[in-house]
Amino acid sequence: MQDEESLVRQAQEHDQEAFAQIYEEYFDKIYRYITLKIGDAVEAEDLTQQVFLNSLRSISSFRWKGKPFSAWLYRIAHNQVVDYLRKKKKVAVPLEETLVSGGDNPQLAAERKLDVEQVLSAARHLTDAQREVISLRFTSELSIAQVAEVMGKSQGAVKALQHSGIVALRRVLTVKQNE
Amino acid sequence: MNNKEFDNILNDCLERLLLKGESLEQCFARYPEQAAELKPLLETALAAREATTIQPRPDFRARARYEFNSALKETAAGKSRLSWGWFPRWATVMAIVLALVLAGGGTVVAADSSMPDSPLYSVKLATEQVRLTLTPSQIAKAKLCAQLADRRVAEIAYMADKGDVGQVEILTRRLDDKLELMVVFIEGRGGIHLPGMLGAPPPEEAASPPLTAAPTTTSPPTEGAPPPEEAGAPPVSPPAMDTVPPTTTVPQSDKGWGGQDDSARNGNRAQLKNTLVSDATSNRAVLRQALDEVPESTRDALRRALAVSEEGYEEALDALE
Repeated sequence: MQDEESLVRQAQEHDQEAFAQIYEEYFDKIYRYITLKIGDAVEAEDLTQQVFLNSLRSISSFRWKGKPFSAWLYRIAHNQVVDYLRKKKKVAVPLEETLVSGGDNPQLAAERKLDVEQVLSAARHLTDAQREVISLRFTSELSIAQVAEVMGKSQGAVKALQHSGIVALRRVLTVKQNE
Repeated sequence: MNNKEFDNILNDCLERLLLKGESLEQCFARYPEQAAELKPLLETALAAREATTIQPRPDFRARARYEFNSALKETAAGKSRLSWGWFPRWATVMAIVLALVLAGGGTVVAADSSMPDSPLYSVKLATEQVRLTLTPSQIAKAKLCAQLADRRVAEIAYMADKGDVGQVEILTRRLDDKLELMVVFIEGRGGIHLPGMLGAPPPEEAASPPLTAAPTTTSPPTEGAPPPEEAGAPPVSPPAMDTVPPTTTVPQSDKGWGGQDDSARNGNRAQLKNTLVSDATSNRAVLRQALDEVPESTRDALRRALAVSEEGYEEALDALE
């Protein structure tokens, strides 16, 4: 993929090929991000498509202000998810104290192969911010700096959320495995 | 070791594992004192990543790509299949002639993607008005209004980003006008000569052919048309713009939808409804996205635009019920 800034500028000039490249580059990543955020792989499909249609409509308003294009795109995805969850009244289940404080099981959940449903289910127990970080880092493979841009937080705060998110995920998976 | 230091070490290992392809063992060797604490966390992260390396279904991917490419082509062409694709040939020819009279072909094409701070913007508005006038049926006019409302939303986001409160407010009024006009057409009340509309009613609605009162460059701009100083416009007076719905009582009849039979009319209404549901969602997302990014000084104006957009689409959808 050519330099992203020039690609985006071409897309802003309605260059179809440039926008198509952006689409191909980000489609799967945005899809995985949304899937983990809403916990539903099928619903995530339509939301993903809407993110790209929205970005097509509003790309002319995008301005380079030192932030990566991905931050802008993920922000659209984030807003799409927020809208969706508001409509569905799906509220993330907060991580229960018992789960947080539960001890490690010797047979670690992560040591065996997890399937996507387990991870999606466990992710629902994370806080919104933890889930956002885990989504962006592990499904979309954004760097800490990029995640910080998307979330509007400092890199230190994102690292702390990453740490607590992984700890929470592990504990939930361990508890669920024991049930 | 404090939490911050450990956060940094954990992150360093994750960067190496996820982005640089290092192994767990390499990370443990790099941080032997923290290896025991790192191990379960890194394993969890890797397992979670592996499990969520999912792909959209192939059939969805194909459909999504097709729809996106279609939208991309429409955007790139800067015109709509709906408004031009099934025009009678004479109307297309007349539209082109009018556009050329107004500003010249190249200018019109260039103007189509212009923003309110461009000198070509008033040409864009004028061209839109010609299209609206020449669009042959009320449902097609309603659909065109929906597309034009989309444009206004993109322009609002653009001007808000520039911190231009005045333009955001002007564009919000134009958005409101477009959404109200759409309701007029949906309700079949556009069969009369609306104030500010060009020409006579379209073919299905009148015996006489349209364009009996073709626009001229001397048509006085009405509400909705930007004064030249407002948009830095060139000395091209746009023709009369769409305005708020008329108060004239108009019979509610099938003729308002072009004399179509029930099934065609219902199909068109269902199609328009789907479009509006999608537009309402996406335009709200665009404006909310802008709200996150624009200067504080434009946020109130943008919130009003958001409210106008939400209310307008709601009314249009109610009218379709």
